[in-house]
Amino acid sequence: MARAKMIFISGGVRSGKSACAESMVRKFDAQRKIYLASGRADDTEMRERIERHRSDRRTDGWHTIEQAKQFEQVLPLLENGDAVLWDCVTTWLANELYEGWDNGQTCAEQKGCMELKWRNMQKTLLQILSKIEFMVIVSNEILDDFMRDEQYMKWLGKIHMWLVQEADQAFEMENGIAFKRK
Amino acid sequence: MQIVFGGAFNGKRQFVKQQVKLDEWSWYEGICPESISEPAVIAGFENWVKLQLQNEISEEEILQQVKKVSQQAGSSEQIWILTDMNRGIVPIDPVERELRDVIGRIYQYLFAEAQQITRIWYGIPQIIKGADHCENLYKNR
Repeated sequence: MARAKMIFISGGVRSGKSACAESMVRKFDAQRKIYLASGRADDTEMRERIERHRSDRRTDGWHTIEQAKQFEQVLPLLENGDAVLWDCVTTWLANELYEGWDNGQTCAEQKGCMELKWRNMQKTLLQILSKIEFMVIVSNEILDDFMRDEQYMKWLGKIHMWLVQEADQAFEMENGIAFKRK
Repeated sequence: MQIVFGGAFNGKRQFVKQQVKLDEWSWYEGICPESISEPAVIAGFENWVKLQLQNEISEEEILQQVKKVSQQAGSSEQIWILTDMNRGIVPIDPVERELRDVIGRIYQYLFAEAQQITRIWYGIPQIIKGADHCENLYKNR
């Protein structure tokens, strides 16, 4: 079976990337629209924000799957014919890279930890793509700023480069305008 | 003179390494030497600027040095790899604020000098100046 079409969209905060991604999925007109959310509700504001997004989408017929990390768990929940919007790469990376922070040792501090997670993630993404019909992956532009956490930025650059390579189309969003880069 | 420009970890060095025969080019990493005789790649330029500022060398002196080096590009080829660091929020650290302003102004000088500028976005090159017929973005001023 042919691999699903994959689109990568990246942009700054409030650049309109999520709206653009949602409209792409809507236009694809798949059997199910799946919203794969990586954000975690750690405080009230975040819980309200997530709930607001959820109820907005519910009226529009979206299924929401919340998956902060370990994406292999998503695979059995997906069906052939699904269109998936994953929002977003940066939160997933933070969740995985800083896992173990509350126990005093993060994944970032353990040799080979993130390498293993990324290999699994690549495998899972390819499996997802061979199962579903259409996928839009949303991420943030944060690499054209001062270095805050070199390891995080290095990983994000590596991940974005792979996603752009794998993507059928790649867009950079700026102020509501999508620039097609691939 | 050519510029390869883009955010950190976007594949700028990888792109340059594919463009040039590395054994014929000198690679200057984090330094900006006064005289360059051979085709040269100047990379990690922002680290060099940061070092100058830390050593209390003035922006004017830094710019003079940059001019001296880039003007040699007439006799031997140069590729400058410049990291875009200026799209984020205003940094809290005053040293970073100064660095951001200084590299912003030096980049403007170098961009005006360059015959060709390529922006790299996650490995994808886009010529933003000097593509002859293919673009006219840089004429829009």
